[in-house]
Amino acid sequence: MLQFVLRRIAISALVLWAGSVLLYFLVVNSGDPLDELRQSQATNREQQMAALTERMNLDEPWYVRYGMWLGGASKCLILACDLGVDRGGSDVNTAIVAAMGSSLRLVTLATVIAIVLGVAMGVLSAIRQYTAFDYTVTFVAFVFFSLPVFWAAVLLKQYGAIEFNNWIADPSVSLVTTLLIAIFFGLFASAIAGGDTRRRGLTFGITAVILFAFITIFDAIDWWVQPALGPGLVLLLSAIAMSFFLMLTTGLRDKKVLITGGVTLAVGLVVYFVIQPVLEEPNWWLILALAASTIVVGGVLGYFIGGFEKRAAMTVGIGTALSFGFYTFFDKLLTNWGGYLDIAGRPISTIGSGTPNFGGNFYETIWDWSTQLLLPTIVLTIISLASYSRYTRGSMLETLQQDYMRTARSKGVSERVLNTRHALRNALIPITTIVAFDFANLIGGAVVTERVFGWTGMGALFQAGLDAVDPNPVMAFYLVTGTAAVVMNMLADIAYASLDPRIRR
Amino acid sequence: MAIAAAGALALTACTSDSGSDSGSDGADSSGDSGSSGSAAGPAKVDMGDVTTNDDTIYYSAGEQEWEAYNADTSATNSTYNAVVMDQILEGFVYFGTDGSIQQNEDFGSYEVTSEDPFTVEYTIADDAAWSDGTPITSNDFLLQWASSNPEALGIAGDDAIFDPVSDSFGVYVPDGPETEVDSKTFTLTYPTPYPDWEILLTSPHPSHIVESEAGMEAGELAQAILDKDGEALGDAAEFWNDGWIFGDKTLPDPALTPSSGPYTLDGATWNSPESLTLVPNESYYGTAPATGELVFRFVAPEAQVQALQNGDLNVVEPQATVDTVQQIEAMGDQFTLEVGDTLTWEHLDFNFADGTTFAEDEGGLAAREAFAMCVPRQQIIDNLIAPINEEAVVMNARETFPFYDNYEDIVSASYDGRYDEVDIEGAAAKLEESGLSTPVDVRIGYSAPNQRRSDEVAAITSSCNEAGFNILDEGDPDFFSAGGPLETANYDVALFAWAGSGQKASGEPIYSTGGGQNFGNYSNEEVDAAWDTLAASSDEEVALEQVKIIEKLLWDDLYGIPVFAHPGVVAYDSSISNVIFNSTQTGIPWNAEQWVRAE
Repeated sequence: MLQFVLRRIAISALVLWAGSVLLYFLVVNSGDPLDELRQSQATNREQQMAALTERMNLDEPWYVRYGMWLGGASKCLILACDLGVDRGGSDVNTAIVAAMGSSLRLVTLATVIAIVLGVAMGVLSAIRQYTAFDYTVTFVAFVFFSLPVFWAAVLLKQYGAIEFNNWIADPSVSLVTTLLIAIFFGLFASAIAGGDTRRRGLTFGITAVILFAFITIFDAIDWWVQPALGPGLVLLLSAIAMSFFLMLTTGLRDKKVLITGGVTLAVGLVVYFVIQPVLEEPNWWLILALAASTIVVGGVLGYFIGGFEKRAAMTVGIGTALSFGFYTFFDKLLTNWGGYLDIAGRPISTIGSGTPNFGGNFYETIWDWSTQLLLPTIVLTIISLASYSRYTRGSMLETLQQDYMRTARSKGVSERVLNTRHALRNALIPITTIVAFDFANLIGGAVVTERVFGWTGMGALFQAGLDAVDPNPVMAFYLVTGTAAVVMNMLADIAYASLDPRIRR
Repeated sequence: MAIAAAGALALTACTSDSGSDSGSDGADSSGDSGSSGSAAGPAKVDMGDVTTNDDTIYYSAGEQEWEAYNADTSATNSTYNAVVMDQILEGFVYFGTDGSIQQNEDFGSYEVTSEDPFTVEYTIADDAAWSDGTPITSNDFLLQWASSNPEALGIAGDDAIFDPVSDSFGVYVPDGPETEVDSKTFTLTYPTPYPDWEILLTSPHPSHIVESEAGMEAGELAQAILDKDGEALGDAAEFWNDGWIFGDKTLPDPALTPSSGPYTLDGATWNSPESLTLVPNESYYGTAPATGELVFRFVAPEAQVQALQNGDLNVVEPQATVDTVQQIEAMGDQFTLEVGDTLTWEHLDFNFADGTTFAEDEGGLAAREAFAMCVPRQQIIDNLIAPINEEAVVMNARETFPFYDNYEDIVSASYDGRYDEVDIEGAAAKLEESGLSTPVDVRIGYSAPNQRRSDEVAAITSSCNEAGFNILDEGDPDFFSAGGPLETANYDVALFAWAGSGQKASGEPIYSTGGGQNFGNYSNEEVDAAWDTLAASSDEEVALEQVKIIEKLLWDDLYGIPVFAHPGVVAYDSSISNVIFNSTQTGIPWNAEQWVRAE
């Protein structure tokens, strides 16, 4: 294993170096850095050109300039990177750190959501292979996959930001819209639920009626500008989360696990009321501490109530407790939406990663972040959703046809256990490789999204550098994304080996 | 399309005129829309007494961020730095809406006291002071002079210690300002007259900060400069060069960056790389800014229109395209669109190098005239420019713009309208007269890709090919590169744009024999002589007279054909008043301190 890793590192370093030479050569020859000045009519034009020539060493051949860059960049090995200055004389080190922070914020959430949604879509469409649901997911995935990012972004800005902001100023949902939404989600739910016509009809009816009722009530109480979940909805949503975890583990057959979930919900409800004053003006450390204690409580409950199914009970306990905690927090967050609206006016922004000089409380600041993150995250999510869902579907289908699945089925293992425990886990193994690689890709690949939404991240750095025929920022970009790609690939290989016992040699 | 950053001299600060005759009803002019004025003249309107409100206005000049307090070094001289510093630093002059030079009376005044030698006396207003309380004095201008590495200080040429974008001050005023330490007045003497003397001085930087950062006593720096002691300036130069560049993207100690303008960095916030918020300078000696917070957001042009519609930006200068204009028009009355001309102008220049089609030894003047007759200038404007700017006209001059007062005067004296209409028959006759055998190949070179220029060439092709030319579209990404077609004169006609600098003598290297930007090797002794006369005089009348001579000769010889001034687009939230489109180097924020949103 060690030899394998070392060999991978050596090859990767060589690839990185060769790539850097090629990229430097290409950037230097991509245009004329003095282009703008040549058209200038200013009398000090020659001086400006001389100054720029000196700062960028334009009088040296490209390989000498590359050598200078490499000299500074190789100091990264001793953790003292010197990536030089850009065309304007600014330090590239500072710029790249800021850009990385910005890009990571943008990309992390989008990647996580894309993975969760993509895998879920893939699993469901594999289980419901060749149904209308499967075809619809396939169709939608491909449509999203082929969307031009800039176009999708402009449309999102129009409807997600400008029109939404107009709507939120005086929100109301018409009867027709309510009906359409209810019918759409009703159809969606019935497609997922599957089964015979009666079951699907029932699912459709129930979902549509519930949604219709909620939207009508929300509209009546002006929930859109003063939303909250309240203890009732928090309990309901947590109960749904609990059934999800039950489904993943023992189902309804083990009473003790079921009791664990129930007790956790009861404890959660008590804590919900107790914790309210604490949540008035929290900070992130407090939230983290609360989350940690929630995990402990859920785990302890599972441990003591679970009996023989300790592990399953603890999973359900922790899962349910965390969900309850999350919804409690989310409830608090929602009640601050009104305050945020008062400050922001038009909540969803089309550019930037935060309202300049935003001065709200803890929750309002979270709202400010999330509303600004919303649109770019949606764009990034829908373009990577397709590949995840397709890979998962393919991998899941392959697993479902394995001999051991047939064996398990013939032993009488239920479909639920078959899908969650035997199929899904094995199907996820190849996905890890894609996830690792995609993450590295996304860090550098959000060029268009960043530009359209005015985020100055890695993409902007790269593009600005290339536009100005300024090699230093471009090379810094390369250094980070190239290294990330290499490291992530290596991690994926190692993870693969540890996940799949068959190749652990 | 590359539009050059305007020169350092163009980056003068702006302010409102002194409120000497402020509105009689001071009580209600509390910075609301009532104090808006129509832009009758080119200068800033009198706002009367302004009480700064606590509103915020968002503006974007592009995606590049501000990063330096000193925008006069060669490293920091960009429009992105200048557009912010124009709100913070002031000087004696600013550009009016028509590009004219306006005196900033709040800051001080100046007058010519002698024509020979040309002498100007400057007086800084008594109450003009930095935001830290230090008066603005001749010390600051002494530093400005020293920072141009003048000969007299022994720091010129290879010994230069400052890194300025321009050395004009030291070159034209070799002896420096005549003054005393801490004086409110100083005198400049020009051994040779200089036509652009009014914009020679830029907004000064605080010398007392440089002084203390260099470890000098108060007045020591100014005294050293007066004593012509260049050696004492080493530490000061070091700070001037680097101390005001903020590479780490955080605002410095506000004590280092005092303000002399309506807004200040003291209390400002910089969310690098997204926005910079300026706050009012409480101790400003001029008219207070109308709006409390001026936020510069760094946003790419293509994202600006939707940002305007969503209220993320309130004043924008997006790309001037037909799409942008239609998009903004479709946004309704809530937003105001203004279009006009900018200081960048498109032109077709002939190549005079021996052996090329239009050189004297080949087609000569007749061939050039034939080409000028068939170029459909009006059609190019109707098809490509008018959809953006309905008022766009064919440009018939090189040293002035259609929106300048002197345009009619100069054009009527230099050009009789002979190329206004396309004349295919006339062109064919002229071509025959030139002796070239048709079809005559004409290589039009420009920097590709550029859709508008490709369209222009297509229009020229369809018209001129009828007259016997064979137009070759030679758009090239390397057109402007060192060793590219323009520099090596490897073209017959060059299609590109110059960015006006606001200086009178800036055309000299373009049109005089052997000039650095005279790419086509044009040469005419009379033109050279006229430029010499112009450049050696500081008299407006002389300059105007010589420009007329130059323009006439350039038309008669057909140096090239001016086509149009590039259109510019400004859009803003209609609730904001005092946003005025203008064709100055400073762009739309020339009067940003007057912008105010109606209550």
